[in-house]
Amino acid sequence: MLLYALLLYLAIGTIITVLTMRKILTDEDYYIGGRKVGGVISALTYAATTYSAFMMVGLVGLTYISGVGALGFELFYLVGTLMLLSYYAPKLWKIGKEKNFITPGDVFSSRYGKNVAKILTPFIALALIPYTSLQFVGISLLLSKEISFEFGVAFSALFTAFWAFLGGLRSVAWTDAIFGIFMLSMAILAVFYASSLLPPSPDFSKLGELLYVPNSFWRYDVFISYTLPWFFFALTNPQVFQRIFIPKDEASLKRMVVIFGFFGLLYTILVTFLGLQLRLLTEYDLFPKISDRDLVTPKFLEIIPSWLSIAIAVSIFAAAITTANSIVLTLSSMFTRDLFNNRSVMAGRIFVVLITLAIAIFAIQRPAYIVDLAIMSSTILLCQLPLIFGVFHWKSGGQIAAISTLVAGFLTAILLYYTKKTLGIPIAVWVLLMSFAVFFLVAFLEKRFIKES
Amino acid sequence: MRWIEALIVIFAMSVPFSVMKDQNLTTYLYWTVVSASYLIFIALRRW
Repeated sequence: MLLYALLLYLAIGTIITVLTMRKILTDEDYYIGGRKVGGVISALTYAATTYSAFMMVGLVGLTYISGVGALGFELFYLVGTLMLLSYYAPKLWKIGKEKNFITPGDVFSSRYGKNVAKILTPFIALALIPYTSLQFVGISLLLSKEISFEFGVAFSALFTAFWAFLGGLRSVAWTDAIFGIFMLSMAILAVFYASSLLPPSPDFSKLGELLYVPNSFWRYDVFISYTLPWFFFALTNPQVFQRIFIPKDEASLKRMVVIFGFFGLLYTILVTFLGLQLRLLTEYDLFPKISDRDLVTPKFLEIIPSWLSIAIAVSIFAAAITTANSIVLTLSSMFTRDLFNNRSVMAGRIFVVLITLAIAIFAIQRPAYIVDLAIMSSTILLCQLPLIFGVFHWKSGGQIAAISTLVAGFLTAILLYYTKKTLGIPIAVWVLLMSFAVFFLVAFLEKRFIKES
Repeated sequence: MRWIEALIVIFAMSVPFSVMKDQNLTTYLYWTVVSASYLIFIALRRW
Protein backbone atom coordinates (compact mmCIF):
# COMPACT_ATOMS: atom_id res chain seq x y z
CA MET A 1 0.00 0.00 0.00
CA LEU A 2 2.82 2.39 0.94
CA LEU A 3 4.53 1.57 -2.33
CA TYR A 4 1.41 2.61 -4.30
CA ALA A 5 1.25 5.84 -2.28
CA LEU A 6 4.89 6.54 -3.17
CA LEU A 7 4.22 5.88 -6.85
CA LEU A 8 1.35 8.39 -6.62
CA TYR A 9 3.83 10.83 -5.01
CA LEU A 10 6.27 10.26 -7.90
CA ALA A 11 3.47 10.86 -10.43
CA ILE A 12 2.34 14.09 -8.72
CA GLY A 13 5.92 15.35 -8.44
CA THR A 14 6.53 14.60 -12.13
CA ILE A 15 3.31 16.41 -13.15
CA ILE A 16 4.41 19.45 -11.10
CA THR A 17 7.84 19.28 -12.76
CA VAL A 18 6.37 19.16 -16.28
CA LEU A 19 3.88 21.96 -15.60
CA THR A 20 6.50 24.29 -14.10
CA MET A 21 9.35 23.57 -16.54
CA ARG A 22 10.67 26.51 -18.53
CA LYS A 23 13.30 26.65 -21.23
CA ILE A 24 16.75 26.22 -19.67
CA LEU A 25 19.35 28.13 -21.64
CA THR A 26 22.04 28.90 -19.08
CA ASP A 27 23.43 27.40 -15.89
CA GLU A 28 21.87 30.36 -14.07
CA ASP A 29 18.45 29.09 -15.23
CA TYR A 30 19.30 25.53 -14.21
CA TYR A 31 20.79 26.10 -10.74
CA ILE A 32 18.96 29.19 -9.45
CA GLY A 33 15.87 29.45 -11.67
CA GLY A 34 17.27 32.44 -13.55
CA ARG A 35 16.84 34.55 -10.33
CA LYS A 36 13.13 34.77 -11.13
CA VAL A 37 11.53 32.82 -8.28
CA GLY A 38 8.72 34.48 -6.28
CA GLY A 39 8.90 35.01 -2.52
CA VAL A 40 6.40 32.32 -1.49
CA ILE A 41 7.96 29.55 -3.60
CA SER A 42 11.45 30.66 -2.47
CA ALA A 43 10.31 30.41 1.16
CA LEU A 44 8.76 26.98 0.76
CA THR A 45 11.76 25.54 -1.08
CA TYR A 46 14.04 27.03 1.60
CA ALA A 47 11.92 25.35 4.28
CA ALA A 48 11.61 21.97 2.54
CA THR A 49 15.36 21.95 1.84
CA THR A 50 16.18 22.77 5.46
CA TYR A 51 13.72 20.44 7.17
CA SER A 52 14.63 16.87 6.28
CA ALA A 53 13.28 13.54 7.55
CA PHE A 54 15.17 14.41 10.75
CA MET A 55 12.17 16.48 11.89
CA MET A 56 9.42 13.84 11.88
CA VAL A 57 11.75 10.98 12.87
CA GLY A 58 14.82 12.38 14.68
CA LEU A 59 13.32 15.41 16.42
CA VAL A 60 10.14 13.63 17.54
CA GLY A 61 12.35 10.92 19.07
CA LEU A 62 14.79 13.44 20.57
CA THR A 63 11.91 15.29 22.27
CA TYR A 64 10.45 12.00 23.49
CA ILE A 65 13.78 11.04 25.10
CA SER A 66 15.07 14.45 26.24
CA GLY A 67 12.09 16.82 26.59
CA VAL A 68 11.68 20.53 25.84
CA GLY A 69 15.44 21.07 25.38
CA ALA A 70 14.90 19.66 21.86
CA LEU A 71 12.55 22.57 21.13
CA GLY A 72 15.15 25.00 22.50
CA PHE A 73 17.86 23.50 20.30
CA GLU A 74 15.71 23.73 17.16
CA LEU A 75 14.43 27.25 17.93
CA PHE A 76 17.98 28.46 18.60
CA TYR A 77 18.69 27.31 15.04
CA LEU A 78 15.63 29.21 13.78
CA VAL A 79 16.39 32.54 15.47
CA GLY A 80 20.05 32.20 14.40
CA THR A 81 18.95 31.68 10.81
CA LEU A 82 16.56 34.65 10.92
CA MET A 83 19.29 36.82 12.42
CA LEU A 84 21.88 35.84 9.80
CA LEU A 85 19.49 36.00 6.86
CA SER A 86 18.05 39.39 7.81
CA TYR A 87 21.58 40.83 7.86
CA TYR A 88 23.55 38.90 5.23
CA ALA A 89 20.91 37.76 2.72
CA PRO A 90 20.20 41.23 1.24
CA LYS A 91 23.95 41.86 0.83
CA LEU A 92 24.55 38.43 -0.73
CA TRP A 93 21.51 38.74 -3.01
CA LYS A 94 22.72 42.13 -4.25
CA ILE A 95 26.33 41.13 -4.97
CA GLY A 96 25.05 37.84 -6.43
CA LYS A 97 22.93 39.75 -8.94
CA GLU A 98 25.65 42.30 -9.72
CA LYS A 99 28.45 39.77 -10.19
CA ASN A 100 26.39 36.84 -11.48
CA PHE A 101 27.17 34.57 -8.51
CA ILE A 102 25.50 31.16 -8.52
CA THR A 103 27.39 29.10 -5.94
CA PRO A 104 28.93 29.88 -2.53
CA GLY A 105 32.23 29.13 -4.28
CA ASP A 106 31.63 32.12 -6.59
CA VAL A 107 31.45 34.39 -3.53
CA PHE A 108 34.69 32.97 -2.14
CA SER A 109 36.44 33.04 -5.54
CA SER A 110 35.77 36.74 -6.02
CA ARG A 111 37.45 37.54 -2.71
CA TYR A 112 40.02 34.78 -2.14
CA GLY A 113 40.74 33.43 -5.63
CA LYS A 114 39.46 30.50 -7.68
CA ASN A 115 41.59 27.86 -5.93
CA VAL A 116 39.60 28.34 -2.73
CA ALA A 117 36.40 27.26 -4.45
CA LYS A 118 38.24 24.25 -5.93
CA ILE A 119 39.40 23.16 -2.46
CA LEU A 120 36.01 23.87 -0.90
CA THR A 121 34.03 21.66 -3.28
CA PRO A 122 35.46 18.25 -2.21
CA PHE A 123 35.23 19.28 1.48
CA ILE A 124 31.56 20.08 1.06
CA ALA A 125 30.99 16.87 -0.88
CA LEU A 126 32.68 14.89 1.91
CA ALA A 127 30.34 16.48 4.43
CA LEU A 128 27.12 16.34 2.44
CA ILE A 129 27.27 13.07 0.46
CA PRO A 130 27.24 10.89 3.62
CA TYR A 131 24.52 13.11 5.14
CA THR A 132 22.37 12.66 2.04
CA SER A 133 23.14 8.92 1.98
CA LEU A 134 21.62 8.71 5.42
CA GLN A 135 18.36 10.11 4.02
CA PHE A 136 18.37 7.25 1.49
CA VAL A 137 19.10 4.71 4.24
CA GLY A 138 16.21 6.09 6.30
CA ILE A 139 13.80 5.88 3.37
CA SER A 140 14.91 2.32 2.55
CA LEU A 141 14.41 1.21 6.16
CA LEU A 142 10.95 2.79 6.11
CA LEU A 143 10.13 0.72 3.00
CA SER A 144 11.85 -2.44 4.24
CA LYS A 145 8.57 -4.34 4.74
CA GLU A 146 7.59 -3.75 1.12
CA ILE A 147 10.85 -3.85 -0.87
CA SER A 148 14.49 -4.87 -0.41
CA PHE A 149 17.00 -2.40 1.03
CA GLU A 150 18.91 -2.11 -2.26
CA PHE A 151 15.71 -1.49 -4.22
CA GLY A 152 14.73 1.14 -1.65
CA VAL A 153 18.02 2.96 -2.21
CA ALA A 154 17.59 2.76 -6.00
CA PHE A 155 14.02 4.05 -5.61
CA SER A 156 15.24 6.99 -3.48
CA ALA A 157 17.99 7.80 -5.98
CA LEU A 158 15.48 7.83 -8.84
CA PHE A 159 13.17 10.21 -6.93
CA THR A 160 16.09 12.46 -6.00
CA ALA A 161 17.67 12.82 -9.43
CA PHE A 162 14.64 12.77 -11.73
CA TRP A 163 13.03 16.17 -11.05
CA ALA A 164 16.37 17.97 -10.60
CA PHE A 165 17.65 16.44 -13.86
CA LEU A 166 14.57 17.48 -15.84
CA GLY A 167 13.84 20.99 -14.65
CA GLY A 168 16.69 22.08 -12.37
CA LEU A 169 15.98 24.48 -9.53
CA ARG A 170 12.59 25.57 -10.84
CA SER A 171 11.21 22.02 -10.68
CA VAL A 172 12.92 21.31 -7.38
CA ALA A 173 11.49 24.53 -5.91
CA TRP A 174 7.92 23.84 -7.02
CA THR A 175 7.95 20.22 -5.86
CA ASP A 176 9.54 21.40 -2.59
CA ALA A 177 6.77 23.97 -2.18
CA ILE A 178 3.87 21.57 -2.75
CA PHE A 179 5.37 18.78 -0.65
CA GLY A 180 6.48 21.27 2.02
CA ILE A 181 2.83 22.18 2.57
CA PHE A 182 2.01 18.46 2.63
CA MET A 183 4.72 17.86 5.30
CA LEU A 184 3.26 20.61 7.47
CA SER A 185 -0.30 19.30 7.02
CA MET A 186 0.72 15.80 8.05
CA ALA A 187 2.47 17.12 11.17
CA ILE A 188 -0.79 18.92 12.12
CA LEU A 189 -2.79 15.71 11.59
CA ALA A 190 -0.29 13.70 13.66
CA VAL A 191 -0.58 16.14 16.58
CA PHE A 192 -4.39 16.10 16.42
CA TYR A 193 -4.44 12.31 16.36
CA ALA A 194 -2.01 12.04 19.29
CA SER A 195 -4.22 14.53 21.21
CA SER A 196 -7.22 12.28 20.66
CA LEU A 197 -5.35 9.40 22.33
CA LEU A 198 -4.60 11.41 25.47
CA PRO A 199 -7.13 11.83 28.30
CA PRO A 200 -8.95 15.19 28.41
CA SER A 201 -6.84 17.86 30.19
CA PRO A 202 -3.67 15.72 30.32
CA ASP A 203 -1.32 16.26 33.25
CA PHE A 204 1.99 17.32 31.66
CA SER A 205 3.70 17.44 35.07
CA LYS A 206 4.02 13.65 34.72
CA LEU A 207 6.94 14.42 32.35
CA GLY A 208 9.03 15.72 35.28
CA GLU A 209 12.54 16.85 34.32
CA LEU A 210 11.69 16.64 30.61
CA LEU A 211 9.86 19.97 31.01
CA TYR A 212 12.92 22.07 31.85
CA VAL A 213 16.62 22.59 31.08
CA PRO A 214 19.26 21.71 32.04
CA ASN A 215 18.25 18.13 32.82
CA SER A 216 20.03 14.76 32.73
CA PHE A 217 20.20 14.90 28.89
CA TRP A 218 20.48 18.62 28.10
CA ARG A 219 23.63 19.56 30.00
CA TYR A 220 25.23 22.88 28.96
CA ASP A 221 27.95 21.22 26.85
CA VAL A 222 25.46 18.92 25.11
CA PHE A 223 23.18 21.86 24.30
CA ILE A 224 26.08 23.87 22.86
CA SER A 225 27.39 20.95 20.80
CA TYR A 226 23.92 20.44 19.28
CA THR A 227 23.13 24.13 18.78
CA LEU A 228 26.35 25.76 17.59
CA PRO A 229 26.74 24.08 14.16
CA TRP A 230 23.06 24.64 13.42
CA PHE A 231 23.08 28.27 14.50
CA PHE A 232 25.24 29.14 11.47
CA PHE A 233 23.52 26.65 9.11
CA ALA A 234 22.14 29.45 6.86
CA LEU A 235 25.67 30.56 5.94
CA THR A 236 27.60 27.30 6.06
CA ASN A 237 25.29 24.87 4.22
CA PRO A 238 25.57 25.51 0.47
CA GLN A 239 22.12 24.19 -0.44
CA VAL A 240 20.44 26.95 1.63
CA PHE A 241 23.15 29.56 0.94
CA GLN A 242 22.47 29.16 -2.79
CA ARG A 243 18.76 29.81 -2.23
CA ILE A 244 19.57 33.39 -1.23
CA PHE A 245 20.27 34.01 -4.95
CA ILE A 246 16.93 32.71 -6.29
CA PRO A 247 14.30 35.40 -5.36
CA LYS A 248 13.35 37.73 -8.21
CA ASP A 249 13.69 40.97 -6.21
CA GLU A 250 14.46 42.27 -2.74
CA ALA A 251 10.81 42.23 -1.66
CA SER A 252 10.65 38.53 -2.60
CA LEU A 253 13.85 37.90 -0.65
CA LYS A 254 12.35 39.41 2.49
CA ARG A 255 9.12 37.47 1.91
CA MET A 256 11.23 34.29 1.59
CA VAL A 257 12.88 34.84 4.98
CA VAL A 258 9.70 35.79 6.83
CA ILE A 259 7.49 33.03 5.40
CA PHE A 260 10.26 30.50 5.99
CA GLY A 261 10.41 31.73 9.60
CA PHE A 262 6.68 31.16 10.12
CA PHE A 263 6.87 27.73 8.45
CA GLY A 264 9.87 26.75 10.58
CA LEU A 265 8.32 27.97 13.82
CA LEU A 266 5.04 26.14 13.21
CA TYR A 267 6.71 22.93 12.03
CA THR A 268 9.10 22.90 14.99
CA ILE A 269 6.31 23.50 17.51
CA LEU A 270 4.20 20.71 15.97
CA VAL A 271 7.00 18.16 15.78
CA THR A 272 8.32 18.74 19.30
CA PHE A 273 4.80 18.83 20.74
CA LEU A 274 4.16 15.45 19.10
CA GLY A 275 7.27 14.12 20.87
CA LEU A 276 6.00 15.40 24.22
CA GLN A 277 2.52 13.98 23.56
CA LEU A 278 3.93 10.52 22.77
CA ARG A 279 6.04 10.59 25.93
CA LEU A 280 2.98 11.59 27.95
CA LEU A 281 1.07 8.72 26.35
CA THR A 282 3.87 6.44 27.62
CA GLU A 283 3.46 7.89 31.15
CA TYR A 284 -0.28 7.08 30.92
CA ASP A 285 0.60 3.52 29.72
CA LEU A 286 -1.09 4.22 26.37
CA PHE A 287 2.10 4.00 24.27
CA PRO A 288 5.05 1.59 24.76
CA LYS A 289 8.18 2.89 26.45
CA ILE A 290 10.88 3.25 23.76
CA SER A 291 14.58 3.66 24.50
CA ASP A 292 15.87 4.00 20.90
CA ARG A 293 14.78 7.48 19.87
CA ASP A 294 14.76 6.67 16.15
CA LEU A 295 12.02 4.10 16.74
CA VAL A 296 9.51 6.47 18.35
CA THR A 297 7.90 7.69 15.11
CA PRO A 298 7.90 4.21 13.45
CA LYS A 299 6.10 2.88 16.57
CA PHE A 300 3.59 5.74 16.41
CA LEU A 301 2.94 4.89 12.74
CA GLU A 302 2.13 1.31 13.78
CA ILE A 303 -0.63 2.29 16.22
CA ILE A 304 -2.48 4.87 14.10
CA PRO A 305 -5.01 4.11 11.30
CA SER A 306 -3.29 2.81 8.18
CA TRP A 307 -4.42 5.71 5.92
CA LEU A 308 -2.86 8.22 8.32
CA SER A 309 0.23 6.09 8.79
CA ILE A 310 0.78 5.94 5.02
CA ALA A 311 0.17 9.67 4.59
CA ILE A 312 2.68 10.54 7.34
CA ALA A 313 5.20 8.01 5.95
CA VAL A 314 4.91 9.68 2.52
CA SER A 315 5.44 13.08 4.15
CA ILE A 316 8.64 11.76 5.78
CA PHE A 317 9.72 10.39 2.41
CA ALA A 318 8.96 13.80 0.84
CA ALA A 319 10.98 15.57 3.54
CA ALA A 320 13.98 13.35 2.77
CA ILE A 321 13.71 13.76 -1.01
CA THR A 322 13.18 17.54 -0.92
CA THR A 323 16.37 17.87 1.10
CA ALA A 324 18.32 15.35 -0.97
CA ASN A 325 17.51 16.76 -4.42
CA SER A 326 18.38 20.29 -3.32
CA ILE A 327 21.76 19.10 -2.03
CA VAL A 328 22.40 17.15 -5.25
CA LEU A 329 21.61 20.17 -7.43
CA THR A 330 23.82 22.46 -5.34
CA LEU A 331 26.71 19.96 -5.33
CA SER A 332 26.31 19.62 -9.09
CA SER A 333 26.65 23.42 -9.46
CA MET A 334 29.78 23.40 -7.29
CA PHE A 335 31.43 20.54 -9.19
CA THR A 336 30.70 21.98 -12.63
CA ARG A 337 31.32 25.69 -12.01
CA ASP A 338 33.79 25.78 -9.12
CA LEU A 339 35.84 22.64 -9.63
CA PHE A 340 35.78 22.15 -13.41
CA ASN A 341 34.96 25.70 -14.52
CA ASN A 342 32.26 24.35 -16.83
CA ARG A 343 29.12 26.41 -17.46
CA SER A 344 27.11 23.97 -19.61
CA VAL A 345 23.71 22.79 -18.45
CA MET A 346 24.43 19.31 -19.81
CA ALA A 347 27.47 19.04 -17.51
CA GLY A 348 25.20 20.04 -14.62
CA ARG A 349 22.71 17.32 -15.51
CA ILE A 350 25.51 14.73 -15.79
CA PHE A 351 26.76 15.72 -12.34
CA VAL A 352 23.24 15.42 -10.90
CA VAL A 353 23.27 11.78 -12.04
CA LEU A 354 26.86 11.11 -10.91
CA ILE A 355 26.41 12.67 -7.47
CA THR A 356 23.12 10.81 -6.93
CA LEU A 357 24.91 7.58 -7.91
CA ALA A 358 27.73 8.33 -5.44
CA ILE A 359 25.16 8.91 -2.69
CA ALA A 360 23.36 5.66 -3.57
CA ILE A 361 26.63 3.69 -3.52
CA PHE A 362 27.46 5.10 -0.07
CA ALA A 363 23.97 4.24 1.12
CA ILE A 364 24.06 0.64 -0.15
CA GLN A 365 27.42 -0.07 1.50
CA ARG A 366 26.26 1.42 4.81
CA PRO A 367 29.74 1.62 6.37
CA ALA A 368 29.80 3.01 9.91
CA TYR A 369 31.67 6.14 8.90
CA ILE A 370 28.68 7.30 6.83
CA VAL A 371 26.79 7.87 10.06
CA ASP A 372 29.83 9.53 11.66
CA LEU A 373 30.37 11.89 8.76
CA ALA A 374 26.65 12.61 8.48
CA ILE A 375 26.50 13.60 12.15
CA MET A 376 29.63 15.68 11.64
CA SER A 377 28.46 17.39 8.45
CA SER A 378 27.28 20.68 10.01
CA THR A 379 30.36 20.80 12.26
CA ILE A 380 32.71 20.23 9.29
CA LEU A 381 30.99 23.00 7.35
CA LEU A 382 31.67 25.50 10.16
CA CYS A 383 35.22 25.93 8.82
CA GLN A 384 33.81 28.23 6.09
CA LEU A 385 32.53 30.78 8.60
CA PRO A 386 35.68 32.97 8.84
CA LEU A 387 35.75 33.13 5.04
CA ILE A 388 32.13 34.27 4.87
CA PHE A 389 32.60 36.92 7.57
CA GLY A 390 35.84 37.94 5.86
CA VAL A 391 33.96 38.78 2.66
CA PHE A 392 31.84 41.36 4.49
CA HIS A 393 33.83 42.53 7.50
CA TRP A 394 37.60 42.17 7.09
CA LYS A 395 40.02 43.44 4.50
CA SER A 396 42.87 41.12 5.47
CA GLY A 397 42.95 37.47 4.43
CA GLY A 398 43.74 36.20 0.97
CA GLN A 399 44.00 32.88 -0.82
CA ILE A 400 46.51 31.24 1.54
CA ALA A 401 44.57 32.30 4.64
CA ALA A 402 41.34 30.94 3.17
CA ILE A 403 42.79 27.58 2.11
CA SER A 404 44.63 27.15 5.43
CA THR A 405 41.40 27.88 7.31
CA LEU A 406 39.39 25.31 5.37
CA VAL A 407 42.05 22.62 5.79
CA ALA A 408 42.63 23.33 9.50
CA GLY A 409 38.92 23.45 10.34
CA PHE A 410 38.16 20.29 8.40
CA LEU A 411 41.05 18.33 9.96
CA THR A 412 40.15 19.57 13.46
CA ALA A 413 36.58 18.30 13.07
CA ILE A 414 37.65 14.87 11.80
CA LEU A 415 40.55 14.36 14.23
CA LEU A 416 38.59 15.35 17.32
CA TYR A 417 35.61 13.25 16.30
CA TYR A 418 37.76 10.13 16.05
CA THR A 419 40.20 10.73 18.91
CA LYS A 420 37.52 12.19 21.27
CA LYS A 421 40.27 14.25 22.94
CA THR A 422 38.13 17.35 23.30
CA LEU A 423 38.83 18.26 26.98
CA GLY A 424 35.06 18.35 27.52
CA ILE A 425 34.65 21.20 25.03
CA PRO A 426 32.20 20.61 22.14
CA ILE A 427 33.92 19.82 18.81
CA ALA A 428 32.00 22.66 17.12
CA VAL A 429 33.65 25.15 19.50
CA TRP A 430 37.11 23.73 18.68
CA VAL A 431 36.41 23.93 14.94
CA LEU A 432 35.30 27.56 15.21
CA LEU A 433 38.28 28.51 17.41
CA MET A 434 40.78 26.74 15.14
CA SER A 435 39.26 28.15 11.94
CA PHE A 436 39.16 31.75 13.16
CA ALA A 437 42.64 31.49 14.74
CA VAL A 438 44.19 30.10 11.55
CA PHE A 439 42.40 32.64 9.37
CA PHE A 440 43.65 35.64 11.38
CA LEU A 441 47.15 34.24 11.90
CA VAL A 442 47.72 33.38 8.23
CA ALA A 443 46.08 36.62 7.12
CA PHE A 444 48.56 38.50 9.31
CA LEU A 445 51.51 36.52 7.87
CA GLU A 446 50.21 37.02 4.34
CA LYS A 447 50.04 40.76 4.88
CA ARG A 448 53.45 40.88 6.52
CA PHE A 449 55.51 38.71 4.18
CA ILE A 450 53.74 38.12 0.88
CA LYS A 451 52.58 41.67 0.22
CA GLU A 452 55.94 43.06 1.36
CA SER A 453 57.79 40.74 -0.99
CA MET B 1 23.53 47.62 16.65
CA ARG B 2 23.22 44.11 15.18
CA TRP B 3 25.54 42.81 17.91
CA ILE B 4 23.21 44.19 20.56
CA GLU B 5 20.23 42.60 18.81
CA ALA B 6 22.06 39.26 18.66
CA LEU B 7 23.05 39.43 22.33
CA ILE B 8 19.50 40.28 23.43
CA VAL B 9 18.00 37.40 21.44
CA ILE B 10 20.60 34.87 22.62
CA PHE B 11 20.20 36.06 26.21
CA ALA B 12 16.40 35.80 25.97
CA MET B 13 16.64 32.28 24.50
CA SER B 14 19.05 31.24 27.29
CA VAL B 15 16.82 32.38 30.17
CA PRO B 16 15.17 28.95 30.75
CA PHE B 17 18.59 27.48 31.65
CA SER B 18 18.88 29.65 34.75
CA VAL B 19 15.35 30.61 35.75
CA MET B 20 12.69 28.10 34.76
CA LYS B 21 12.34 24.88 36.70
CA ASP B 22 8.56 24.46 36.60
CA GLN B 23 7.14 21.03 35.83
CA ASN B 24 4.65 22.38 33.31
CA LEU B 25 4.81 23.83 29.80
CA THR B 26 6.28 27.20 30.87
CA THR B 27 9.68 26.63 29.22
CA TYR B 28 8.00 25.31 26.07
CA LEU B 29 5.69 28.33 25.83
CA TYR B 30 8.46 30.78 26.74
CA TRP B 31 10.74 29.62 23.90
CA THR B 32 7.83 29.68 21.47
CA VAL B 33 6.85 33.25 22.46
CA VAL B 34 10.45 34.57 22.27
CA SER B 35 10.99 33.02 18.81
CA ALA B 36 7.62 34.23 17.52
CA SER B 37 8.33 37.75 18.84
CA TYR B 38 11.70 37.86 17.11
CA LEU B 39 10.11 36.61 13.88
CA ILE B 40 7.50 39.37 14.05
CA PHE B 41 10.27 41.91 14.74
CA ILE B 42 12.15 40.69 11.64
CA ALA B 43 8.96 40.84 9.55
CA LEU B 44 8.14 44.42 10.58
CA ARG B 45 11.65 45.87 10.60
CA ARG B 46 13.05 47.79 7.62
CA TRP B 47 15.84 45.73 6.03
